[in-house]
Amino acid sequence: MTETRPTVHVVDDDASFLAAASRLLSASGFHVKTFTGAAEFLARADADAEGCVVADLHMPGLSGLDLQQALAGTRNPIPILFLTGHADVASSVRAMRRGAEDFLEKRAPKEALLEAIERAIARDGVARAARRRQRDLQDRFDKLSAREMEVLAHVLRGQLNKQIASDLDISERTVKLHRASIMTKVGVRSVPALTLVAREAAVSALPDCPKGQ
Amino acid sequence: MNGVTVVWTLVAGVSVTLAFVHFPVWLRRRGAWSSFFLSSMATGTAALAFCELAMMQARTPEAYATALRTAHIPVWITTVSMVGFMQTFLRPRHLWLAWAVVGLRTLSLLLNFTVGQSLNLGTVTGVHLVPFLGETVAVGKGTFNPWMVVGNTGVVLLGLFAAEAAVGAWRAGHRGTAIRVGGAAVFFALAGVSQSVLVFGLGLDFPTTISLFSLGVLLAMAYELSCDVTRATQLTGDLRESEQRMTMAAEAANLGIWVRDLVRDDIWVSARLRELMSLSGDGPATFERLLRAIHPDDQAPVRQALARAATGVHGGQFRIEYRTLSPDGAVRWLAAQGRVEFDAAGRAVRTRGACSDVTASRLAEGEMQRLREELAHVGRVSALGQLASALAHEINQPLGAILRNAEAAELLLRLPDPDVDEVRAIVDDILADDQRAGAVIDRMRALLRRHEFAMVPLSVHDFVGDVAALVRTDASARHVQLVVDLGHDVPPVLGDRVHLQQVLLNLLSNAMDAIDEARRSVRNIVVSAARDGAGFVQIAVADTGPGIPADRLESIFGSFVTTKPSGMGMGLSISRSLIETHGGRLWAENQASGGASLRFTLAIAAKEKTP
Repeated sequence: MTETRPTVHVVDDDASFLAAASRLLSASGFHVKTFTGAAEFLARADADAEGCVVADLHMPGLSGLDLQQALAGTRNPIPILFLTGHADVASSVRAMRRGAEDFLEKRAPKEALLEAIERAIARDGVARAARRRQRDLQDRFDKLSAREMEVLAHVLRGQLNKQIASDLDISERTVKLHRASIMTKVGVRSVPALTLVAREAAVSALPDCPKGQ
Repeated sequence: MNGVTVVWTLVAGVSVTLAFVHFPVWLRRRGAWSSFFLSSMATGTAALAFCELAMMQARTPEAYATALRTAHIPVWITTVSMVGFMQTFLRPRHLWLAWAVVGLRTLSLLLNFTVGQSLNLGTVTGVHLVPFLGETVAVGKGTFNPWMVVGNTGVVLLGLFAAEAAVGAWRAGHRGTAIRVGGAAVFFALAGVSQSVLVFGLGLDFPTTISLFSLGVLLAMAYELSCDVTRATQLTGDLRESEQRMTMAAEAANLGIWVRDLVRDDIWVSARLRELMSLSGDGPATFERLLRAIHPDDQAPVRQALARAATGVHGGQFRIEYRTLSPDGAVRWLAAQGRVEFDAAGRAVRTRGACSDVTASRLAEGEMQRLREELAHVGRVSALGQLASALAHEINQPLGAILRNAEAAELLLRLPDPDVDEVRAIVDDILADDQRAGAVIDRMRALLRRHEFAMVPLSVHDFVGDVAALVRTDASARHVQLVVDLGHDVPPVLGDRVHLQQVLLNLLSNAMDAIDEARRSVRNIVVSAARDGAGFVQIAVADTGPGIPADRLESIFGSFVTTKPSGMGMGLSISRSLIETHGGRLWAENQASGGASLRFTLAIAAKEKTP
């Protein structure tokens, strides 16, 4: 089955550590892929790789921080946690500020490492689900026609059919037809539900209206 | 009073007195053979005088014959003693002449008692009474004994012997002695021969007076010996003076002096030497006791140096420095020099030596060396300190791998059916990583260890490789590419591994700092090596930093010169002194392409010099 499953991507230029880490994580029940450098990871890893990245901070060529920057710009910002032989304050602060999942010494306790990986994978799962739902909702709104988007904007502003008809200079009956079509395409039954979904999908037509109106 | 009795008694008395004076001298000093011969000749002369007196007072032919025969015994004693004296005192060249005289005299003595009534007169037929010195004395008459020729030949030879000895002494510069002793002896011989021929051969009516001539020789000899005593006294005075001068000089120079008689195995040491060697005042100084006072480590070298000098190498001269241990455990450095003296046969007979305390200068020398090494050590610690973070990373890498492998193995072994092959692979990796961490620690320890300078042949590849391994992590963290490009034909050099590594470490560390300063996109260091002339290898560390201002190419090697906030400013100064200790040079250049190039030369290890 080609379906992706959560994988720990270990990136380290030290072959011996790479093998050791891979063994431990496999024995602990993770699915593991190994890469001998940041460049190799960027070239070889699946575009929508799932799970997390465990990378050495100090590597010749592209360093761990370079990898973090490169990943942040993609559609698939997979969580990254750093390992370092010797923690120095400056680079750990920099890594954490840019949203590193965690920052551990290479000889950190096993439990700390495994927990950090579990946490990263879990977070990746949540983030991935959120991203999937948002994409799904956006797809639904993308099906609306231009006129329907116009009507939607007015509906979300809380206007009545009559006001909308007058504003758009169309008949009230046509407005009703558009509203029914929008409800069907977005898959909701009530205007409050439509409002929530539109906000969740971050539809551009969504007006800045005060809550509770 | 009658003259003859007085004179001859006087001659005997004077002779006996001389014998009494000189015989005890020989008794006390057995080497003084001239005194012995003088006393024996004096005894002989005294006896001869009595014999002559008896001859003169004889009133029958028998009494005369007996006295004449007996007289030959003191004549033999006198002649042999005279020869012995001149042989020992004047040392003539022809020893055979002396033996010939002694031989003829002995033969004469034998003939005297075997042929006729005496050597001179075969038979005494009568005595003529003649007046002599106011007294009537007897002169023997009888048949002439032809064997007297033997005796006279001996006396003539004695004269020749004396003349030859006198000429030798004259030539040797002892003119007075030659005239006095030689002249008296020659006169004795001539007079003796003449008188015996005239009286016994030609029948002259005159008594024999050989003892008078003999006394003349005796007096000349005694005079010479008394001159010797005077000279000896003067020499003693001179000796004492020179000894005092020498003692003063030795004391002024704080020298301890010793003289060892190798034949009698006897040693004399000055008071200062006792002090220097920490010998207690009581008890005689022996060579073994002196040796035991030397530091145990230095005893063998001292023995060897003395034994070597005793073989005659360098004319018997020796020079050595050694330590002594005082009873309170303090170590003192002494410098000793001296000479072994040899006899004519080339045997070592005496050793003279002087030694002085050089502890202070030795300590100062040792202290300088210690300070140099201390400074070099501080330099290494500081250079490694700059690498501390990178080195910790480099050690944590294998340690991390070991930890993860061990954890993985633990998990695998918990399974009901563990994968043994995988566990074995893990154990292999753990061993390899342990070696890797150990190697990093060893490299660091080698540099951090306090260390004594030792020059050995070194492979340039090895010591450059070791330093490159130490620096590589730091370089990669600082995005500097380290290229080691040595070529295959670089011969081994002569050097101290730790110090050369320290120099290279320092140069690489400076190069990385320079690159950081330049902020250029090309960030690399090239370490290269090539032959430099016949006997040297040149090693260069070139960087892509900003280079060194032309006016600072030399001043950067001064002490406390630094451009870095954390630097001590001693790195290049220490490095240059280390390379100069190796007999090489260290200098800085700028490359045409920009960036500095630090270069140093090292001597090629000896066996490579002449391929």
